Amino acid sequence: MSLARVELRLILRSRLAAAALALLFLLSALSIWSGLSAVDRQDATIARVTAEQARDLAAVAKEYGKPDGEAGYAAYYSFLLTHDRPSALAFLALGQRDVQPAVLRVRALSLQQQLYESETLNAEQALPGVFDFAFVAIYLAPLVVIALTHDLVTGEREGGRLRLLLSMPGTGLWRRRIGLRYLLVALSLLTPAAVALVATGAPAMLGLGIVVVISVYLAFWFGLSVLIASRVRASATAAAGSVGCWIVLTLLLPTLANAAIARAVPVSKGIDLTLAQREIVHHGWDIPKPATFDRFLATHPEWRGHESFKGRFHWKWLFAMHQVGDEAVAAQVAAYRASLLDRESWTVRLGWLLPNVAAQGVLHRLADTDLVAQLDYQDSIGAFHKELRSFFYPYLFLDRPFTRADFGLLPSYHARSGTASWPAIPMLLLLIVTGLILAASAVQIRGISRDDSR
Amino acid sequence: MNVRVIRIGLEEWRSLARNRAGLVATLLLVALVLVSALVSFERRAGIEAERAHYQTLVDTDFDNQPARHPHRMVHYGQFVFRPLSPLAFVDFGVDSFTGNTIFLEGHRQNSANFSEARQSSLLLRFGQLTPAFVLQTLAPLLLIFLAFTSVARERERGTLRLLLAQGVSGPQLLIGKLLGHGGIALAIGTPAFLLLGWLAASAAAPARIVVLLVIGYAAWLLLWAALAVLVSALVTRSRDALVALVGIWMVVVVLLPRALPEVAATRTVLPSKIETEITLHRALKQIGDAHNPDDPYFAAFKARALARYGVSRVEDMPVQYAGLVGMEGERLTTGLYAKSARAIEAREGEQNDFVRAFGTISPLIAVRQLSMALTGTGLAAHQDFLNQAEAFRYRFVQALNWMQAEKIPVVNAGEDPRVSADNWKTIPRFQYRPFVPTSAMIWPNLLVLGGWLAGLGLLSVPIARRLGKATR
Repeated sequence: MSLARVELRLILRSRLAAAALALLFLLSALSIWSGLSAVDRQDATIARVTAEQARDLAAVAKEYGKPDGEAGYAAYYSFLLTHDRPSALAFLALGQRDVQPAVLRVRALSLQQQLYESETLNAEQALPGVFDFAFVAIYLAPLVVIALTHDLVTGEREGGRLRLLLSMPGTGLWRRRIGLRYLLVALSLLTPAAVALVATGAPAMLGLGIVVVISVYLAFWFGLSVLIASRVRASATAAAGSVGCWIVLTLLLPTLANAAIARAVPVSKGIDLTLAQREIVHHGWDIPKPATFDRFLATHPEWRGHESFKGRFHWKWLFAMHQVGDEAVAAQVAAYRASLLDRESWTVRLGWLLPNVAAQGVLHRLADTDLVAQLDYQDSIGAFHKELRSFFYPYLFLDRPFTRADFGLLPSYHARSGTASWPAIPMLLLLIVTGLILAASAVQIRGISRDDSR
Repeated sequence: MNVRVIRIGLEEWRSLARNRAGLVATLLLVALVLVSALVSFERRAGIEAERAHYQTLVDTDFDNQPARHPHRMVHYGQFVFRPLSPLAFVDFGVDSFTGNTIFLEGHRQNSANFSEARQSSLLLRFGQLTPAFVLQTLAPLLLIFLAFTSVARERERGTLRLLLAQGVSGPQLLIGKLLGHGGIALAIGTPAFLLLGWLAASAAAPARIVVLLVIGYAAWLLLWAALAVLVSALVTRSRDALVALVGIWMVVVVLLPRALPEVAATRTVLPSKIETEITLHRALKQIGDAHNPDDPYFAAFKARALARYGVSRVEDMPVQYAGLVGMEGERLTTGLYAKSARAIEAREGEQNDFVRAFGTISPLIAVRQLSMALTGTGLAAHQDFLNQAEAFRYRFVQALNWMQAEKIPVVNAGEDPRVSADNWKTIPRFQYRPFVPTSAMIWPNLLVLGGWLAGLGLLSVPIARRLGKATR
């Protein structure tokens, strides 16, 4: 215990180490403030929009909810709100929440024309990326690890104390020193996060996941930095070498890989499906109405016998046409989604090799703020939209009046339950890579003890 | 004196040549700029070809629509795809974060959709491999690594005392080091600048723009070389210089650009798209309802229309009245959309001004703005595209409305009046006018970079003096 205390005093006496740890603590706290602020803003937007949308719907109900009101008008003018509230852990890893919409409203017309709407977004401010805990932990914390470990061995050698240290009785010198540094870094980084997790009442299992991933990730960087620090002769070389690794791992390889993935997996299917859908819906106006109803009734046989009407226009035909339009592009929609998921799974595979990509992936999976989360939100919108359509069909096909009271029966969106999860394979591989690098650095350090004491 | 300064500068080159790690890193960086330039040049061409292909496709689709009522074509609408500027290969700017296609139709303003950021994994957030990324983010780190020992090493090895004893003055030493590392910075930049110049010429980019771009990036590189030498002269140990410089890099290049947007977003809240739509919808309702015969606004409009054609009934007008009402409605809605778009633009501008003001502290913000402005990939260029698209939307919708007024019979139009398909070819198509940056987007940023260089120059005077005295 006393030995550890001496070591602690030694570490903190170094101005560089103390400053780096204080900076890390400060950055971690700041990033959590920033994340909470972003999440609060999204919650506030959702609350604002919910109130505003309720007023809008009330106005529609007042205008079209007459005793003999037509369901077609109600269906055409009633927008219903869906929302994607930030998950309990979103404040730690905002992920794509800055560019993906947190609210989207839909009406019973074609879903595919509404699903990909963008939110108002200041692209210039989105460009540099968000400042959240995930960024501090994945991007910046390794630099602090390097600052604390690069001169672990060389510093003693340069100070002329290495031989003396190695000749001293007792074991576990390096283990003690490295372990203590690891603890200090982990505490500086994770304390603000842990406090915030407890204060916000986040689910313990997910919060624990964050702590575990970051702990393993830090261990990887300790392993790498110590490995380099114990291989070279000068502190400056060790620092340069480690920072070089950091540049390659966090700046270079991910950007290269992203360019490669973007090229290998094109996502222009989104545009294809939008264009195809427009052709089908507008073509519907030029073909005989029975042709549209035939396709509609093939998937909705329950309305057979209710499709005919007099005159040129009936709302049920319009909505049937939109339904057919959506169904006709189902294959393209599936292909589009598959291409998005393809990009995601290539990124996960890259994480098998790059611990920072793995840590990023796992963090955002735990926080449920990645592309998978967005697709899940889109799915929940799709399910709700289906419910909305089925709600209107009896009114439309049975010519039932749509009154003020019926507006009260409109389905309302229930928030998705979220897909936050512990991804097992990336986690396991992150552990393996970290274990390997730790083992290598342990071997290297043992070698030093032998070489220098000779 | 000059000979000494030059010899000190050349000595830095010799030391770089001996430093194998430094040399490898330098060559790697140069290779990286070149590779990133070629890769993004090719990628830009690919994106541009794809967008051009889609533009042709949708334009042909429009022509091939069958005979229809013109109002149906108002809602069939037109898609426009934003062309990517020729210099986008240097800096993709906000292109990945803005949708690149808009669906334009009557009395609706749709968002630009399918941005790359929404369709990519989070890998995109590590950055995009473009010359801009390499020059803005990586090159400063390399320059730090090459220069952090420049003066401190002389001090550590005791050669500083030796040099001063030989009659080299502090200013001579510092100027020599600055020249040496400034030269290295420019040498690192030169292959990139040459390639950029050549590719830009083949992409038919204006020479003036390319020259300004090169000046901006050269100033940015020089700035880091100078900063690294000065910090190296200030500290007693090289390692402290490295730590301080990496710290500065972290704050200036990584931290401020990321942390400031959150502050800006909290200061100025952007309304969500739904709120904007609802507000617009209410404003529209207030103007009037064309379908309501008692509506005062449209009653007055009708009276004016009747007077203009000198008739007393709409049935006697030479054009279809519904078409005129459509045009008036479009005029009103478009005015409201423009107002609302200006309001959001103003809010975004407020956020951007707040962040850009920090460009004086974080020259990265200045060089980034300059780069995006010159390459035509910044927010201003995107907004310019949105404005062009909106102006075009108004034009083609009104052309269709006028077609309805003119060609749909006033009386006895029948149950399903249509105009023939060959009319669609006469409807205007989107012609994108390339974005030209204003001088207000260029000069303030160049001024900030110049100011930094001047400030570092001023700072070097007391540092040089101190250097001369330190070991006497």
